[in-house]
Amino acid sequence: MTPLLEVEDLHVRFPLTEGTIEAVRGISFTLGRERLGIVGESGSGKSQTGRAILGLTARPGEVTAKRLAFDGIDLMAAPERLRRSLRGSRMTMVMQDPRYSLNPVMTVGQQIIESYRAHKRVSGRDARRAALAMLDEVRITAPDRVMALYPHELSGGMGQRVMIAMMLITGPELLIADEPTSALDVTVRGEVLRILDQLVAERGMGLILISHDLEMVASFCDRVLVMYAGKIVEELASGALDQARHPYTRGLIGCLPKLAGDSHPLPVLTRDPAWAR
Amino acid sequence: MATPLIEARNLSVRFGVGRLTVAALDDVSFTLAPGESLGLVGESGSGKSTVLRALTGLAPLSGGSLKLGGVAVPTPRRMNFFTAVQMVFQDPYASLHPRHTVDQILAEPLAIHRIPHAETRIVAALREVGLGPSYRFRYPHQLSGGQRQRIAIARALILRPKVVLLDEPTSALDASVQAEILNLLEDLRRAFGLAYILVSHDLAVVAHLCERLIVLRQGRMIEETTAGALRDGSVKTDYTRAMLAASGGFTRVGPTAPPTAPLRNT
Ligand SMILES: Nc1ncnc2c1ncn2[C@@H]1O[C@H](COP(=O)(O)OP(=O)(O)O)[C@@H](O)[C@H]1O
Ligand SMILES: Nc1ncnc2c1ncn2[C@@H]1O[C@H](COP(=O)(O)OP(=O)(O)O)[C@@H](O)[C@H]1O
Ligand SMILES: [Mg+2]
Ligand SMILES: [Mg+2]
Repeated sequence: MTPLLEVEDLHVRFPLTEGTIEAVRGISFTLGRERLGIVGESGSGKSQTGRAILGLTARPGEVTAKRLAFDGIDLMAAPERLRRSLRGSRMTMVMQDPRYSLNPVMTVGQQIIESYRAHKRVSGRDARRAALAMLDEVRITAPDRVMALYPHELSGGMGQRVMIAMMLITGPELLIADEPTSALDVTVRGEVLRILDQLVAERGMGLILISHDLEMVASFCDRVLVMYAGKIVEELASGALDQARHPYTRGLIGCLPKLAGDSHPLPVLTRDPAWAR
Repeated sequence: MATPLIEARNLSVRFGVGRLTVAALDDVSFTLAPGESLGLVGESGSGKSTVLRALTGLAPLSGGSLKLGGVAVPTPRRMNFFTAVQMVFQDPYASLHPRHTVDQILAEPLAIHRIPHAETRIVAALREVGLGPSYRFRYPHQLSGGQRQRIAIARALILRPKVVLLDEPTSALDASVQAEILNLLEDLRRAFGLAYILVSHDLAVVAHLCERLIVLRQGRMIEETTAGALRDGSVKTDYTRAMLAASGGFTRVGPTAPPTAPLRNT
């Protein structure tokens, strides 16, 4: 069976006058209809990995790969037109802060309907019906009222649900969620994760959940890739944080303050230059 | 009992006018002893930052009273208030002037308070937060997030305050940098007998740094508890218990089970 996503030796480079930044340095993985986590500290290349898969690398960034394929389609060879139509219909991305990704001068309803109609030939009335149903799926009460709101009128948790609704209304098979809950309260975070979890399970989607929060990702995903300096240094099975072997992963787990057990001072991470090689 | 360092009684803060009035704080009372560390927790919008802003005079009180060292605090605050009380914000990117060097950033409070020997003080302040003198001539954009937060802490400590108000001081930082900053805050507290009021959404961070904490909800204090109670789960309200449960990571109810008690429109 063709995997949903194949990534082999993916590189993302930014050639700048002061030298080339190697944001992603040869990572490989495949994804089925499962929940895959990517964790690592800021600058480790998580977002650039997600963007490269979708074809959203900013200029002057360059993407190379031995293979980058979505449902068997060779993305490296695909013309921009094909990538654009895949993006938004079959593969899509939810970003950290909905306030920056939603259009501030359009109502929630207009935006969801527009993103639906960009990919589906349906009447305005059917699009509206689909939008209401989708808002209900992300558990928004009184969706018809929420459709008339502007992004600034939404709380963080509502904004994030609206984003998820907008991204999932076309029924994509792959969702890349980049820090989707980092701007949310812990209690709301759990609720947004639960919605994502249920939609992914019901629709049989593949999900890549990008986050710096190792504990959250490990408790949510089936598998976790740990990135450091643009490389994958370790892969962990769900809930198996205690089996981490790489000193970077272990160091990350160790330096978190914990409610169970009190250690003063906290262990700090001492970086070995060899990790980045 | 010794005089509390801070004594806040029935603090109320309202924003807006008429029908649009929001009671951001409603009848909040607490004390802080010298050298003590108090946590403030609650969901976003519950009033945590408003407590700190009310203390520093940035948010006007509509009711209640405030004492520092047993003496009523006047509004507007006098200059000597800020030699005792300083603040560190969440976002080290936004809280440092982008076009000022570290040297200028640290010199400013000294100049305002007419404190001599600025250069010696600045070099010492940098040393206290673990940075060498070469950092004096850097701009904020030339520093990492953790280094910027060290500068913000150095700026808060340069006047040798008795209490530092910390608003989500490590929330924007990576776990490894957070550990370094938390260790630094503990070291400085010990070295200078500092008291802290710490706002954080991370209960483990609060339990690590504070002995006592108060829980806010919609501007009201709904629980006063201890780090020990957070650790052994013996908190009193469902609200605090729910926060505690949520901080333990994601728990799947069952492979296909619908979520229990869906929370809507949060
Ligand atoms: N537009 C860009 N130009 C140059 N370098 C960039 C650009 N975007 C990202 N980078 C660099 O790529 C690296 C990885 O970034 P990113 O994938 O955003 O990290 P993460 O999401 O893990 O925090 C970082 O060193 C970052 O500075
Ligand atoms: N300057 C302001 N004007 C109007 N409302 C405000 C202002 N600052 C805070 N609020 C409101 O006061 C309440 C408490 O806010 P805040 O103290 O910032 O919460 P927290 O720090 O717990 O997230 C919120 O409802 C917020 O919208
Ligand atoms: Mg990122
Ligand atoms: Mg706040």
